[in-house]
Amino acid sequence: MDETTHLRLLGFIVERLEVGILAVDRQCRIVLWNRFMETHSGRLLDAVQGQNLFDCFPELPASWLKRKIDSVFVLGNYAFTSWEQRPFLFRFKHNRPITGGVDEMRQNCTFLPLRDASGEVKMVVLTLADYTDTALIQRRLQAAILESETERRKQRALLRRLQGAKAQLFQSEKLASIGQLAAGVAHEINNPVGFVTANLGSMERYLGDLTQLIGAYDAAATALPAAQAAAVQQIRQKLDYEFIREDLTALIKESREGLDHIRRIILDLKDFTRVDQDGWQAADLEKSCDSTLNVVWNELKYKAQIVKEYTHPPHPECIPGQINQVLMNLLVNAGHAIGDQGTITLRTGAQAGEPREVWVEVQDSGHGIAAGDLKRIFDPFFTTKAVGQGTGLGLSVSYSIMRRHGGRIEVRSEPGQGACFRLVLPVQRTEISDQSPPDGPDLAGEVSAEELLALEETDGR
Amino acid sequence: MSVSVLVVDDSPIARKMLRKALPADWDITVQEACNGQEAMLAYRAGKVDVMFLDLTMPTMDGFQVLETLQAEDLNCFVIVVSADVQPLARERALGMGAIAFVSKPVNAEGIRTVLREYGVMV
Amino acid sequence: MNASANVLSGDQTDALQEIANIGMGQAGDSIARIWQQFVELSVPRIAIVEADRIPALIHHFVGDGLVSAVRQAFHGGFRGEVLVVLNTGNRHELGALMGYDGPLEPHEEEEMLLDVANVLAGACIGGIARQLGADMGFSAPSLIGTDLDAHSVVRPDELSVATALCVEVCFNVKIHQLSAHLIALLPREEVAALGELLDRFLCTL
Repeated sequence: MDETTHLRLLGFIVERLEVGILAVDRQCRIVLWNRFMETHSGRLLDAVQGQNLFDCFPELPASWLKRKIDSVFVLGNYAFTSWEQRPFLFRFKHNRPITGGVDEMRQNCTFLPLRDASGEVKMVVLTLADYTDTALIQRRLQAAILESETERRKQRALLRRLQGAKAQLFQSEKLASIGQLAAGVAHEINNPVGFVTANLGSMERYLGDLTQLIGAYDAAATALPAAQAAAVQQIRQKLDYEFIREDLTALIKESREGLDHIRRIILDLKDFTRVDQDGWQAADLEKSCDSTLNVVWNELKYKAQIVKEYTHPPHPECIPGQINQVLMNLLVNAGHAIGDQGTITLRTGAQAGEPREVWVEVQDSGHGIAAGDLKRIFDPFFTTKAVGQGTGLGLSVSYSIMRRHGGRIEVRSEPGQGACFRLVLPVQRTEISDQSPPDGPDLAGEVSAEELLALEETDGR
Repeated sequence: MSVSVLVVDDSPIARKMLRKALPADWDITVQEACNGQEAMLAYRAGKVDVMFLDLTMPTMDGFQVLETLQAEDLNCFVIVVSADVQPLARERALGMGAIAFVSKPVNAEGIRTVLREYGVMV
Repeated sequence: MNASANVLSGDQTDALQEIANIGMGQAGDSIARIWQQFVELSVPRIAIVEADRIPALIHHFVGDGLVSAVRQAFHGGFRGEVLVVLNTGNRHELGALMGYDGPLEPHEEEEMLLDVANVLAGACIGGIARQLGADMGFSAPSLIGTDLDAHSVVRPDELSVATALCVEVCFNVKIHQLSAHLIALLPREEVAALGELLDRFLCTL
């Protein structure tokens, strides 16, 4: 290719390339302006040639752009602008007269130093590429990424709640089956205890009869010949008949008391688990406290003094077995919070206002709860107890139970001052409780069944 | 009698470039030092008439050399040869007793002009 | 830090060191003229690094604290990429210096970081190339990120080279609390091209 053809070809490319090309001299006068620039600016080469760039286009960011061009002259550097930071340099209409979607043409610009033979920069060439399509795609992509990011965050939160709910469900099922087992045992013991009690009654009666008979023999003993009388007397003394007679009465009385105790424990256990009468019913919270206290007494008897401040509030509608479970959690926790010796106070009361509410408080004189922990104690798996002592689920299960009852748990505590948990229940069963069937508790809070299902499927990590 | 020249630069290539740029018709004996400490040792050991001194060097840079020389009654011509060609570096070096400042990369013509200008070489 | 053995000869390394020194001196002068501020310069450091060591090396150069980072490719006599790791204390003052009006919007701040990096890279690589008689072109710089930990500027698993020649220089503009580490990385297979240019330069001595 000869030089003229070559030059003509280059000229053609510069002129017709779908890229804006212009050049300015040291005074920022326009010396080159290709067709792309003419088309999009609406100014022909003749109108701008020799004119100052900033005079021709007052909308350009003059102070910044002047400095940028200057630095290319001084340093002989390349320089760039990107549509991502600076959407456009020249305010050109976009190239999408039909499809639209964006206001101005997005541009990537390159500033090239043009040196002369001595190495001095004589001109700066500016190329301007249309990045509108890229920008549109990028914008869509970014929206999609943002959306999936939000979705992922939501899923992660749901997953956490699901895990908490699962663990709660497991814990309350465990407690329920322990309760069932205890109730079964209580029922089995009840029969033998019944007949032992009946037999003991008969035995007592028979003993009275026998004593009466021996009394009669005693009265007749004076009629015996001396030798026989002495022999009988000897046996009496050897056996210590007087002691036997008194002790038998005492033994029977003690056995009866023992049986009574067994019967009370059986009743309490039945009462506590309420297997026989599950479901919503008005329940005496004070009775609940007492029977639960008897069940966990073994854990508390050596360290805690129990103080009861009962005010006989109305009986709220609730599922007593579940409320007992909450009370048991609170009592066991109170016991754990007390180190060596302390007091557990049980209080009941009613709150005025609408809806009418009743409450039970379990207060301990233990180590209390740190302020930072207070808002986390109802979270699943949160525990400050030593490994093996607590699952970190007791309070979270209690929280769910109270919520399902349309009630709540309040807590106040200062470290070193002990803690006080208050269970508040509406006297009348409320809407919330109506929505969740007692046998299918919605432990996951706001998570719907479909969401849980979807999560189970995606949780394949 | 020949002039004693000390070339101080941590870069062997820079020392080589400088020695090459020194006028061929100049009657000199050349020593080299690759940091400020070595330069001071050579200076104190004997006669150094002209010192070509780089500014950025590990263990005692050019400014520290200038400072020490001033404290010890500067008794030689110091020509600073530096890649750092900012006006402030130049002013600082000249203010600390250097007679001239030559920008890297050095060339024979530049060195000869400086030497003539300050009468170090006729 | 002279681990460039086996890749560049001792003479070549010395020459590169001095050329980098001069290149950065010229870059410093140009920047000083544009910003009218004195620029403190470091002694260039040259090393051959395995790709998985690059993050640790960057941390070694830059130290702790959050940084912004820009990458830019250069091509011509030899090819490679420059990482410019910036620690910008007073971005707004720097913005005013570069012709921005008023407080900087986030996208303006990004643009400014790109510009600062581009100026430094262009001046420094351009200065080195000029001494070696090579003509350099640059592609547009792109932002790696802002407020990055120095370790996370480069992820080794994303690098496409096993070994690289690394030339590091540091610029400090005290008054604007700006410090910039410029780390030029050459893939190992490009080192031969650089070596040839260095040999040609050494022949002129």
